[in-house]
Amino acid sequence: MLGPSVVWLGVFYLVPLALLLVQSFWTYDSVNVVTNQTPTLDRYRALASDPLYRDVLWKTVRLAALVTVTDIALAFPLAAFIAFRIRRKSLGLLLVIIPLWSSYLVRAYAWRTILGTDGVLNNFLVWSHILSHPSSALLFSNTAMYITFTHVWLPFMVLPLYTALEKVPPSLMEAARDLGANGPRVFRHVIVPLVLPGIIAGSIATFSLTMGDYITPGLLGGPDSNLIGNLIFTQFGGTLDWPLGSAISMLVLAVLACFLVLASRTGALEAQ
Amino acid sequence: MPGPLNRRTFLKRAAATAAGLAAAGSIPTGIAEAASRATRQESDRRNLTLICWQGYADPSFVRPFEQQNNCKVTATYAGSSDEMVAKWIAGHGNTYDLVSASGDATRRFMNSRTLLPVDVSKLKNFDKLFPKFYTPVWNTRNGQHFGVSFTWGPDVLIYDTRVFKKAPTSWHVIYDPAYKGKLSTADNPITIADVALYLGFKDCYNLTDAQLAKCKAQLQEQKPLLRKYWGGSGDLEDAFIHREVVASNAWPLMTNDLRKAHYPIGETIPREGATGWADTWMISKNSPNVDLAMKWIDYMIGPQGQKGVIDVTAYSGASRSAIPLLGPARVKALHMDNLSFFDELHMWAEPANYAKWQKIWNDVKA
Repeated sequence: MLGPSVVWLGVFYLVPLALLLVQSFWTYDSVNVVTNQTPTLDRYRALASDPLYRDVLWKTVRLAALVTVTDIALAFPLAAFIAFRIRRKSLGLLLVIIPLWSSYLVRAYAWRTILGTDGVLNNFLVWSHILSHPSSALLFSNTAMYITFTHVWLPFMVLPLYTALEKVPPSLMEAARDLGANGPRVFRHVIVPLVLPGIIAGSIATFSLTMGDYITPGLLGGPDSNLIGNLIFTQFGGTLDWPLGSAISMLVLAVLACFLVLASRTGALEAQ
Repeated sequence: MPGPLNRRTFLKRAAATAAGLAAAGSIPTGIAEAASRATRQESDRRNLTLICWQGYADPSFVRPFEQQNNCKVTATYAGSSDEMVAKWIAGHGNTYDLVSASGDATRRFMNSRTLLPVDVSKLKNFDKLFPKFYTPVWNTRNGQHFGVSFTWGPDVLIYDTRVFKKAPTSWHVIYDPAYKGKLSTADNPITIADVALYLGFKDCYNLTDAQLAKCKAQLQEQKPLLRKYWGGSGDLEDAFIHREVVASNAWPLMTNDLRKAHYPIGETIPREGATGWADTWMISKNSPNVDLAMKWIDYMIGPQGQKGVIDVTAYSGASRSAIPLLGPARVKALHMDNLSFFDELHMWAEPANYAKWQKIWNDVKA
């Protein structure tokens, strides 16, 4: 039964990645894009010597980590609420999933209308006298990107977390209680270890989605909000330096690989 | 700034923003492509595909062409010349039938060996072009036409007339700390030419390394003053309408759109002069729709197409064919009675060291 999935993975994932990898060692010319196929390390040297790429990568990793941590914090109570507190679980899940039915662009655009100087949030803050005049710090900033990413990726954290929570046997929690553990202790020593695979699965989604995004910086970011995805996009969609774009992509892949290795160290991936 | 709010105006504004959101047609370019692909439907009608600037495939003049020729026109809007070149060349000219190339990109298109030489004798409206557009350097090589010019215009300074009671006389306003956080500029390496003009480098497509370094320093100084870099006309218009921005460089299309929306917008050419562009329809040599593409070009330099594109964009036409339809006042306002204005503009051209321009742009932004 493994056959089809291996083919799928190979054709749609491994082959394109291998092509990217090979291309990253080529050079480009502006007419035929990539013709000179003598391997060179030029693009990697450029990546290593120019602080631009390091700085932007680091900025993106920090943002992706922050988004992931926030999503865990937000998704936990929500997933637990659906798993333990309500009877019509499917309705709860439906409410989480519904936003996914609308375009990602619409959701990102919604934040532009909410966070704008003349936007819903500012109007509310002024109306309720929390601010004396509208703040322009909300939109077109790294904060706006952080809020948007956190919101649009949240379902990807809630769903695996819910699945994991649902599988926690209530009898275990009761037993822990009977043995004298208080709420926080049950949470830390019983629930968290059992749902760790769900947290990791969600984190992989939110982290890698943020690492690869280049739309939100353009819609909600300010003049200083270029992420690594924008640099890759510029190479493919602007300067035509595909080898450099491929090399930067490899850099992102390396970061994600490190993240996966760390995740597998926790043992969570096997448990899945 | 919004005045004091009571509950009712708050709710009204919230509803208005929600309605604006529902109608959010102004999604930046690049992204628009996915949407336009989705509308590409299967049918027996032939499909003419364009990659072009915003405003060059408006339904107001595309529909009549579709009806006259029983075809479907599908346009992909690009946000920069670089994007057009990248998408065209990545598909080796197989992705689109036509491109509306600006002067800073036409050399790259001609060098790419993906263009079909155009036999202009087959275009019945060709003779009506202003003579300056018969064999311009940006689309003609050794007497061979690699496309036909159809529009031209300046890069203008636009401003909120509530903030600027009088038209600013210098590009200085978009570098002025007094308007910190209320400024924008085009997200495009060719913007460096605008900076060069502001700094007094008249030969603005032929910059030395030292001049480029000065432009870069100027851009870095400007960056903290910017609200955002704009990536397309919808992007900038949206920023003006929501009062995020009060001054920016722009295309006449934006002034036109904002005026149609009754936004208090002013447009001016500051004393340092302005860059400008002339756009050319070019045909892919791999196009399966060459006859249709030729008809499109003829249409776009004919009276109906010229009038249509001028109405939408407020750009100047490269042809005299629409002059009777436009009327003397508009012809004068568009500088189509006297092309000396064209000669005053610093027309987009591809700098020899353009790779350096692109690198500077990436460095400044990141």
